[in-house]
Amino acid sequence: MTTTRPRNVWVEIALAVILVVTLIPVAWTLVLAFLPNRAIVSPDWQLDFWIGNFTTLFDDNAFITQVANSVQIVAGAVLLCIGIGAVTGYALSRLHPPRWITIPSLVIAGFIPLIPPMTLIPGLYVLLSQLGLLGSITGLILVNAFLNLPFAALMLSSYFSGVPEELREAGLMDGATELRTFVSIMLPVVRPGLAATAIFVGILAWNEFMMGLTLTTGGSTSPVTVGIAELLQPYAVTWGELAAAGTIAAIPLILMAAVANRHIVAGLTAGAVKN
Amino acid sequence: MSTTTAAPARDRVGTSAPRRRRPQTNRSLFRLLALVPFLLFGLVFAVYPLLQVARMAGSDVQIRSGRFEWEWTGLTNLRDVLADAASIQALTNTVVFVAATVIGTLVVGFVLALLVDRAVTLLPLARNVLIWPAVIAPVVVSLMWLLILSPTAGGLNKLLRTIGLSEQGWLGDGPTAMAAVMVVDIWHWTPVVFLFLYTALKGIDASVLEAARVDGAREFQVVRHIVIPSMSAAIGAVILVRIIMGVKAFDEMYLMTRGGPDGATTLVSQHIKTLFFDNLDLGEAAAFSLFTVAVTALVLALVLLVRKAVQR
Repeated sequence: MTTTRPRNVWVEIALAVILVVTLIPVAWTLVLAFLPNRAIVSPDWQLDFWIGNFTTLFDDNAFITQVANSVQIVAGAVLLCIGIGAVTGYALSRLHPPRWITIPSLVIAGFIPLIPPMTLIPGLYVLLSQLGLLGSITGLILVNAFLNLPFAALMLSSYFSGVPEELREAGLMDGATELRTFVSIMLPVVRPGLAATAIFVGILAWNEFMMGLTLTTGGSTSPVTVGIAELLQPYAVTWGELAAAGTIAAIPLILMAAVANRHIVAGLTAGAVKN
Repeated sequence: MSTTTAAPARDRVGTSAPRRRRPQTNRSLFRLLALVPFLLFGLVFAVYPLLQVARMAGSDVQIRSGRFEWEWTGLTNLRDVLADAASIQALTNTVVFVAATVIGTLVVGFVLALLVDRAVTLLPLARNVLIWPAVIAPVVVSLMWLLILSPTAGGLNKLLRTIGLSEQGWLGDGPTAMAAVMVVDIWHWTPVVFLFLYTALKGIDASVLEAARVDGAREFQVVRHIVIPSMSAAIGAVILVRIIMGVKAFDEMYLMTRGGPDGATTLVSQHIKTLFFDNLDLGEAAAFSLFTVAVTALVLALVLLVRKAVQR
């Protein structure tokens, strides 16, 4: 960074090759999304532009419902993770609660990200069926929130740790309660952290597949990732529709990555280190 | 930033008690309650399900008209599931998959970090585009690669045909299916490794590198003797994170191969799913889950111990 090294042509060429390899699957999907099935399965290259894949997809009520389901799941999971995660993160970083409550919290927060979620599914299946939430959006919101809560809490706790202690003391000295100091001083200060965490939890909840697959009955009860998987019938795959659905599921995230690049990078690295 | 005004002074004027007292008492209540929602979530969604998994692992469970019927059988399930060749295959597949993809993403990610660090023209583009794979849903990633690898509609076979080479049934043969799934995993998660290592690389004191170069060290020597040693902590963290991600892998295999052909790409998660939902061997699925959790915990504990020993 400090030195301006001369441009190395080989570095640029090697990087260009990697960038092309990174982009090919994305670009190829985008191309196929605009091709009729006949052109896709034909043995030679036929490139005739067609938007029928998108129209048939949107004529299908199930797909629209699945997108709406995913939006609800993302919104619910983000709200829960930000709400509970902020309080938890603040407590862990600043409040020094008694050990008998801190240690179990840290054990849970450290343990959940380590184990494969599939190992919990038999138990979650029993739990949700007992609560009558099997196959419901509420159930998926709660499960998604639970999966991302440890990450949200730890990420937010590191943001709270970055706030000077004097700020909090000033609030307390002025007579505000601890709760009020948290709500009116600390929360506004860590707003960028809240945004980063929200973006990150949102991406993970939107991308989640395993719980959606195993805890719903599919069709209009499932999130969009499961919907895409259902388009992959063993026989007669409608490749064009599949590509269109994949495009619709990927575009919002790529746009978000372009806009909030720094936040996402912060989340990827911060979250992963804490894991 | 003037933030002191943000919190209005609420204490009544005239109370003779020292100001400190009030926040202290209020604090204790919020302090006590702040972690309760999180703990509640953990108890309901982690501890209780794990207890149910343990109970299920030791029982013969049937679902009759939507209700669970439990009958305690002890260790039978665990014995049965571990005696099953499919379980052993799932375990060995997972070890092979994790080892290959951890090494793969580490090597590619490291090279990428070095390249981006030295790039000038492509630097802005690279910093934006390189994280794309990591934000795309695993389901969509699998779909994208199916559109390339599928024997009927895949672009790769079309390309091979055009240039006169023979087509391959990429996902149809055990070895190529496993290799394909690994390539997809490496494509998908290299960005994460790259970001870690790139951040660590940026943290190295530039003057040290400059000094080495002035002293006539070749680029390879600089990397070998300065860059890699000073990044060892980051590399260790990346390996740990990637091992955890590898053991969790499910979506890609489920969509691309359903664990096949003949279980060649069945990893632990896929195996649990098959046992539980397809074979309805609930007890065996739970026993295998418990076994997976125990082994994962053991391996991670060992890795952490080794890391501690190395750092000392």
